[in-house]
Amino acid sequence: MALENLGKALNSALKKLARSNVVDEAVIKEVVRDIQRALIMSDVNVRLVLDLTKRIQKRALEEKLPPGISRKEHIIKIVYEELTNFLGKEAKSIEIKEKPTVLLTVGIQGSGKTTSIAKLARYFQKRGYNVGLVCTDTWRPGAYYQLKQLVEPFNIEVFGDPEEKDAIKLAREGVSYFKEKNVDIIIVDSAGRHKEEKGLIEEMRQISEAINPHEVILVIDGTIGQQAYNQALAFKEATPIGSIIVTKLDGSAKGGGALSAVVATGAPIKFIGVGERVEDLEPFDPKRFVSRLLGLGDIQGLLEKF
Amino acid sequence: MFGKLKEKLNSFVDKVAQTEISEKDVNNALDELEWELLEADVAFEVVEELKERIKSELVGRKVKIGTNKRKIVEDAVEKAVLDVLTPQRKINIIEEIRSKTEKPYVIAFVGFNGSGKTTTIAKLANYLRKHGLSVVIAASDTFRAGAIEQVEEHAKRVGVRVIKHRYGADPTAVAYDAIHHAKAKGIDVVLIDTAGRNELNRNLMDEMKKIVRVTKPDLVIFVGDALAGNAIIEQARQFNEAVKIDGVVLTKLDADARGGAALSIGHAIGAPILFIGVGQGYDDLKEYDEKWMLEKIFGES
Ligand SMILES: Nc1nc2c(ncn2[C@@H]2O[C@H](COP(=O)(O)OP(=O)(O)OP(=O)(O)O)[C@@H](O)[C@H]2O)c(=O)[nH]1
Ligand SMILES: Nc1nc2c(ncn2[C@@H]2O[C@H](COP(=O)(O)OP(=O)(O)OP(=O)(O)O)[C@@H](O)[C@H]2O)c(=O)[nH]1
Ligand SMILES: [Mg+2]
Ligand SMILES: [Mg+2]
Repeated sequence: MALENLGKALNSALKKLARSNVVDEAVIKEVVRDIQRALIMSDVNVRLVLDLTKRIQKRALEEKLPPGISRKEHIIKIVYEELTNFLGKEAKSIEIKEKPTVLLTVGIQGSGKTTSIAKLARYFQKRGYNVGLVCTDTWRPGAYYQLKQLVEPFNIEVFGDPEEKDAIKLAREGVSYFKEKNVDIIIVDSAGRHKEEKGLIEEMRQISEAINPHEVILVIDGTIGQQAYNQALAFKEATPIGSIIVTKLDGSAKGGGALSAVVATGAPIKFIGVGERVEDLEPFDPKRFVSRLLGLGDIQGLLEKF
Repeated sequence: MFGKLKEKLNSFVDKVAQTEISEKDVNNALDELEWELLEADVAFEVVEELKERIKSELVGRKVKIGTNKRKIVEDAVEKAVLDVLTPQRKINIIEEIRSKTEKPYVIAFVGFNGSGKTTTIAKLANYLRKHGLSVVIAASDTFRAGAIEQVEEHAKRVGVRVIKHRYGADPTAVAYDAIHHAKAKGIDVVLIDTAGRNELNRNLMDEMKKIVRVTKPDLVIFVGDALAGNAIIEQARQFNEAVKIDGVVLTKLDADARGGAALSIGHAIGAPILFIGVGQGYDDLKEYDEKWMLEKIFGES
């Protein structure tokens, strides 16, 4: 499972702290270095890691001890706080407030957009919603058939035209098509793109403008490394990002790139992809996630003191 | 007489004017370089190993006083990186294909989900045709939705034929048919497009082993995504263990990726990188050049 290693490493760093007799500057620095290593091995952006660990170290060395709390406990608290700050807080879901709710999915080539859309469509269908899908990928051969075949077993309709070259037109027409059909949710798929493809980034902005989605979902490959931060930033600058789906967490993915994308966009992770099948989608709960990451079973009692 | 004295004097000055490179010198210089490599997506494990290597090479070495020690460390790092980036054996794919007496030359493409296998096959088909070679593609990804339509459309655009079965069919049988077709028609090269797979999925890895075992490709190419971070090490290792990887194509280098993945893969499996993907067009396939890669990793291009 992704981030398992990060969890293990963080946990052992904190245990080291709990074991040492005196907590002096040297010990604090060592623990901070361990945390730094753990985050970097998990693909969290190097600059973010430096910022984060600098903050932890500074607070650990400078903050006054609250009464009744040992220095060790205090440091564990700081680490916990800084990490939850970094990883996001409450579990959030994609809200379906209006009928129809329009969602637009964007992301880098091959990140898993089309697969994730099929997963989302099925997820909402299971909860009683009527869903329509729009393919605006005029770039990748077979994109329309891919989406269609993914949802065929569930009788979910896909709007698209493999011959059409104008993605913005497809988006506009697809959304009005499903509006007339009175569906509850419209999810729009888009071609993969990255920050250096300025024309495609502009196209994405125009699609978003044309259909005015309730939420733009950024799909991030769980195996992405240092590029995650800058790429996510470029997407956010073109169109506001409302949520993140992290995919491919069933392999050796470290997931840290997705965390960088959270920081870059300010958008929460709402779902994770854990396989290729349409059922392989899980809602994301940051609190549960952080607990697991820190092996909070061990230090839960301690945290209750605060 | 006088000459001898001067000689002695000189060697004395030389001795005094020497200094040793200390561990601290090396650490100081490595500190920043380390961050730079990590930022370029060189896997943590690889960076650690490079550091150790540089240390054991340099600590204790005697240099003249006044030498820029930092420069020495930097040069050593650059050399070590270039070492990993430089393939032990270069494969000239066109020559290899031409020198095979019995047609066809079979290439299987494997890799993690969405890394760029199918697109790379289309690019390579285009490249081979430009070199006067005939090509047929085996649509052996019978698993992923839209995979067959995708490879067919690509093939149509670059003007090569696809051998396909239907979805759910045995990928090995498709590849087998394509090889037979090539034999019968005297086609030079068969490119096998396989489904993307997660390296921890036992069943899918076994399926890939079977394709390779039965079709005995002349070349197994691992297609890796240059945007990937530390996970690429495990991917490359697992794929290499399952089916020996002969060569690598690294994709999506146009996405501002610094290309540390090249170093990670080289370190993990040692297979040479043959091509890099630099875009979604059919001409966006470049022959690999380690000097170019080196500059990219150190952010100089
Ligand atoms: N193992 C695994 N594979 C996944 C997951 N999500 C998607 N994939 C696979 O990743 C590959 C790419 O997925 P797509 O949905 O085509 O990605 P995309 O972002 O739409 O790609 P483009 O449209 O080309 O940009 C496919 O092989 C999918 O089956 C996941 O959670 N786990
Ligand atoms: N920018 C860029 N995009 C690329 C490159 N190579 C492939 N792509 C894109 O990446 C996406 C996935 O490529 P595919 O060729 O479908 O990848 P795959 O490995 O066959 O995917 P699966 O079969 O689903 O595992 C497509 O949108 C391609 O256009 C590249 O070098 N640069
Ligand atoms: Mg897609
Ligand atoms: Mg493919």
